[in-house]
Amino acid sequence: MIMRPGQRLLMPVNPGFVWASLVASLLLTMVANMVLWGRAAWAPDLLSIVLVFWTVHQTRRVGMAAAFVAGLLVDVHHGGLLGQHALAYTVLSYLAIMVHRRLRWFAVVDQALQVFPLFVLAHGVEVLLSLLVGGGLPGWWALLAPVIEALLWPLVNLLLLAPQRRAPDPDENRPL
Amino acid sequence: MARATLGQDPPPFFRQGPSAFSRLLVFSALSLLVMVADARFQVMQPLRAALSVLLYPVQWLAMRPLIVVRETQSALGAVADNEAERQALRQQLSAQTQRANRAEQLLLENRRLRDLLALQQRLERPALAAQVLYDAADPYSRKVILDKGEVQGLRLGSPVVDELGVLGQVTRLFPMLSEVTLVTNRDHAIPVLNVRTGARGVAYGDTSNHADALELRYTAANADVAVGDLLTTSGVDGIYPPGLPVARIEKVERRTDAVFARIYCVPLALVAGASQVLVLEPVGVNAPDRPAAQAEPKPVRNGGRR
Repeated sequence: MIMRPGQRLLMPVNPGFVWASLVASLLLTMVANMVLWGRAAWAPDLLSIVLVFWTVHQTRRVGMAAAFVAGLLVDVHHGGLLGQHALAYTVLSYLAIMVHRRLRWFAVVDQALQVFPLFVLAHGVEVLLSLLVGGGLPGWWALLAPVIEALLWPLVNLLLLAPQRRAPDPDENRPL
Repeated sequence: MARATLGQDPPPFFRQGPSAFSRLLVFSALSLLVMVADARFQVMQPLRAALSVLLYPVQWLAMRPLIVVRETQSALGAVADNEAERQALRQQLSAQTQRANRAEQLLLENRRLRDLLALQQRLERPALAAQVLYDAADPYSRKVILDKGEVQGLRLGSPVVDELGVLGQVTRLFPMLSEVTLVTNRDHAIPVLNVRTGARGVAYGDTSNHADALELRYTAANADVAVGDLLTTSGVDGIYPPGLPVARIEKVERRTDAVFARIYCVPLALVAGASQVLVLEPVGVNAPDRPAAQAEPKPVRNGGRR
C-alpha cells in the first residue's frame, strides 16, 4: 500500500468498534440535543462526522446502506419528514466515497478543509428538502453547523483511530 | 483467444458490487420514495413505529443524563427559591379559592339548568399526566416528545395542556412515546374564541416573524380586537374542549390595503419549557357519530303497480 510520508501503519480495525462508535455518536447527538442546546440550528451533527470518517477509512464496511439506515433513524428521532436525513446522509456517503482515496494523502488538519464542502452540501440537501415540503428556513445560525463539524474532524480522527494506533506488541513501557 | 479472458465477470479481488454512483441513485430514489410516501400518502407509520422501537434503547440511554440534570436542577432550585415560590403559590391559592367557590356554585346552577334543558351532561374528561422528554431536534418544526405512548392508552389527536394553557396536540403515536405538535408549529391551527367579544377565529402557528408565536388569521381589519385580549378554545373543532386558555393578543396591525388584520398572539402555555403536561381525551370521542348520508331513495317506477 502506498502511504503518505510520515503516516503510521495502523492495526486492523475492529468491526464492533466501528458500529459502536456510530451508535455512540447518535447517542451523543441525542444527549446534546436534550440537555445542552435543544433544537438550535447550529448544533453539529456528530453522527454525520463519524459516518464520513468511517466511509473514508473503511469504505468496504461502512457504505451508503449504513448511511441510509442511519438517516432513517435520525428522521424518526427528529420526528421530521421520513427520508430527509436518509437522502442527506446518502449524498454525504457518496461524496465521502468519491474523495476517500485522495483524502488520506492529506494531513489531518488539511483533511478538515477537504471535508468541509461535504458537510455544507449535506446540510444544503436538508434545507432544500425542508423548503420543498413547506418548512421555513432555519436562519443564519445554521451556517455554523458545517463549520463546527469540520472543526471537530481532527478530534474525531484522534479518537476513532486511537484503538488502531495501539502497539502490536504491548510491553511494560507501552501498555496500550 | 482464450474464452476466460473474454468473460464479463471481474476476478473476485476487484469485485466490489455495484458502482458508487449506481448505489447513490438507488438510495436516493429509495429515500425520495420514502419521503413521498410519508408526506403525501401517510403510509410510513408502521416503518416509523418499527424504527422507533429499534431506536428506543438508545433514546432511553440518552435520557439518563437529562433526568439527572433535571433532578439536580430541581433539587438546587427547590432550596434557592422555595420561599418565593411558596408565597406566590399561597397568593395563587387564595385567588383560586374564591374562583373555586364561585365555580362550585356555578357548577350546581349549570347542572340544574342543563337538567332542565335535558341537555347531554358534559362528561368529566379523563386525563393522563405525562412528561416532556425533549424538543424534537428539527429546527424547522415545533414539536416535543412525551414519555407516554400507545401502550399507556394515548390516542391520536388528543389535546395536550399544561397548567397555563393549551400546549398542542398528539400527532404521532409510538408504542412508548408520542409526538406533540405545539400550537406554535407552522402547520398547526386551533379554533379560538375571543373571551372579551365572543368572536370566533382560527389561530395558526407562526415561527417566521416572532420566535414561538401564533397568528390570528382571517379577522377583518375593522374587527373588534384589542391588545391583551384572551383567546380560549372555542370547542367547535371536536378536538379541544371549550374554554382552555390558548394565547393573549400581543400586537394588532391594521393596514388600509389589506382585508384582514395581522394579529400576533403569544401562547400562554410554556411552549419552550413545559415539562409536566396533561393529555386530555379528544372531545369528538364522546360526540355522536355524524349522520350517515341518506341512502338514495329508489325511484318509483310508474306502472309498476298492476
